[in-house]
Amino acid sequence: MSSSFSGLTNALAALNVQRYGMEVTGQNIANANTPGYTRQRAELAAVGPVTGVAALYATQHPNGSVTVSGTTRLNDPMIDVRARAEHGDNGYRQTTANVLSSAETLFDEPSDHGLAEQLNDFWNSWAAVANNPGDLAARNVVLQKAAGLASSLNQSSANLARLTQSVSQQATAATVEINTAATALAQLNGQIAIATASGTNTNALADQRDGLLLKLADLAGAQTTILADGTATVSVGGQSLVASTTASSVSVSPSNQILVGGTPAGTAGGSLQGLVDSLTTTLPDYAAQLDAVAAALASTVNASQTSGYDLAGNPGGPLFAGGTAATLSVAVTNPANLAASGTPGGNLDGSTALGLSQLGSSNSGADAAYRTLVGTLATDVQRAVQQAAVQQAVTNSVDELAQSSAGVSFDEETTNLLTYQRAYQASSRVLTTVDEILDTLISHTGRVGL
Amino acid sequence: MIRVTAGSASRGALAGLQADSSRLASLQQQITSGRQITKPSDSPTGTVTALQLRSQLKQVNQYQANANDALGWLTTVDSSLHSITNQLQQVRSLVLQGMNTGTGNATSNEALAQQVDQARASLLSLANSSYLGRPVFGGTTAGGVAFNAAGSYVGDTGTVARTVGPNNAIDLNTPGTAAFGANGSNLFDLLTDISANLRTNPAGLGANLQQLDARQVSITNEQSLAGAKYQRIQSVQNTANTNLVQLRSQLSDLQEIDLADMAIQVTSANAAYQAALATTAKVSQISLLDFLR
Repeated sequence: MSSSFSGLTNALAALNVQRYGMEVTGQNIANANTPGYTRQRAELAAVGPVTGVAALYATQHPNGSVTVSGTTRLNDPMIDVRARAEHGDNGYRQTTANVLSSAETLFDEPSDHGLAEQLNDFWNSWAAVANNPGDLAARNVVLQKAAGLASSLNQSSANLARLTQSVSQQATAATVEINTAATALAQLNGQIAIATASGTNTNALADQRDGLLLKLADLAGAQTTILADGTATVSVGGQSLVASTTASSVSVSPSNQILVGGTPAGTAGGSLQGLVDSLTTTLPDYAAQLDAVAAALASTVNASQTSGYDLAGNPGGPLFAGGTAATLSVAVTNPANLAASGTPGGNLDGSTALGLSQLGSSNSGADAAYRTLVGTLATDVQRAVQQAAVQQAVTNSVDELAQSSAGVSFDEETTNLLTYQRAYQASSRVLTTVDEILDTLISHTGRVGL
Repeated sequence: MIRVTAGSASRGALAGLQADSSRLASLQQQITSGRQITKPSDSPTGTVTALQLRSQLKQVNQYQANANDALGWLTTVDSSLHSITNQLQQVRSLVLQGMNTGTGNATSNEALAQQVDQARASLLSLANSSYLGRPVFGGTTAGGVAFNAAGSYVGDTGTVARTVGPNNAIDLNTPGTAAFGANGSNLFDLLTDISANLRTNPAGLGANLQQLDARQVSITNEQSLAGAKYQRIQSVQNTANTNLVQLRSQLSDLQEIDLADMAIQVTSANAAYQAALATTAKVSQISLLDFLR
């Protein structure tokens, strides 16, 4: 048999437990809008009979008490793993799409003032010279259009270089952010290890840890393992970034290779990988294609010019100097020195100018090279933006799943609050009842007939 | 079952609202710019096609300009040759008169010879007719005349080509030598000869008349050749005009928006957005708390 007063103790324990439940519910409601907060639940357990006591002395009755066995963080670890993977991919796709979209704005096509239209105007200005080779005004127009083309190409090249520089700066900024997060995670690992060892509640620390892990996944596609003691081990591109309380640092080498603790890492994912890929592949590719446009323009026009004769009948010289988009310039200053004639002798033949005016429709000239560049860029951007949109949707849905298990629902918390409240009221009633029984026992027993 | 929490519900609502409003913004951008393709990635193939169409359009415009220039040149050639033919008819009648009067009347023959000299000067100026500062019978000469004062051809036989279509360069040149004969035996030498014969040797006029007729034939030939080129260019121009209209409408189909279609799309996007806003505002107001006292 249990002791006479055990009812009081049990009721007190119940009151404490229900109050704790209400506190946890209150904490959930208070943190409903806290980013990264995971809802918690007070785990209640009935207190059973003490085991290992001989049956003769053991009670056949329930102990009647309740206890808090722990406070569980209600996240879904499987979904968290998926969320980190999807966030890593999302960081990569979004960054790639952003960089490409920025590159796209440098080429304003199709428009009335893009490079394609300038090329058309340039070729047409040669047709005017072909019609009237002796007209210096028509020749001056050619020089003006050529200068316009050269400066447009120079500008596009400079814009692309500026974009490359800004992407490079973004990559540096990303490494700083990654390293800050990695250092913070290493410190947190230490705190979690101590807290776990001492049996303290680690839920708040775990929330912080998961926030940092998600950030590292977004930025660097970090791969995470969560150990039994709650600490996290993180690697980037196959290289260890955070292990226990030590954090290495991520950096980008001058050749745009991701280094972790100075060692080259493999493909990492995340924003940083997107930036590095743009720096190593996409942007240099566009710069090379722009150079190809400039080179095709210079070589075709110059070949035609040097095979022709100027207004005075002398052999023509190259119109363009420099063979890259950044260095292209106009080498001729005197309009009479433009070669329009195909025969020597200072006549008004316009066959060279005529040939030049036809170059625009060539399948291998500057126009075709430029169309290829714009087409490639447009396809790249479209693909990147679509992939980014799909990945964003996937990431959102995973986030929503994570929220669905970890997020606070007011309806649910309110219901819990009601439940705990009712249990608290009922436990109070138990207490009162036991008290009344004892009162009867103590104050009114043995007074029969008095 | 998926739990719906305050956070997940508001995130979902926000994502949906953002998608709706970004769709509206993109439609808005298309309408205000009047273009379907506002940036290359809106339609990569459309962009490349638009660039090609624009290049073709510019080229056809230039072909039209070239053709107009060619027509101007040929009109000058035609009207010059026409006037020259008329003048030659007069010279011919002067020669006939000289043949009829014979050696009998030196005074009247002298008068005829002077008229021929006048005609020669006038014909020389016609043979030096120029279009935009270039003698039309002078080939590609950089000098201002095709025939010098002595009546010798100083032009060349270079090509005066105008590109009026893709791979369609038409040579407009009517070299002075083809129309008026080679130096030494050209029209002006013949006229000098006629003038001299009228004065001194009317017997030679019979041969001169034959030579004059032969010259007339070559001039008429050149005139009809110029006329044929004129016609050819005109027909090319007509084709090019049709082509221009087609190119413009293709480019417009590709680049520009269909306003009616856009208006409907905007209205439906707007309705969807409003509905989303209204339901979001209504739904997220309700919770269990509303029903507890």
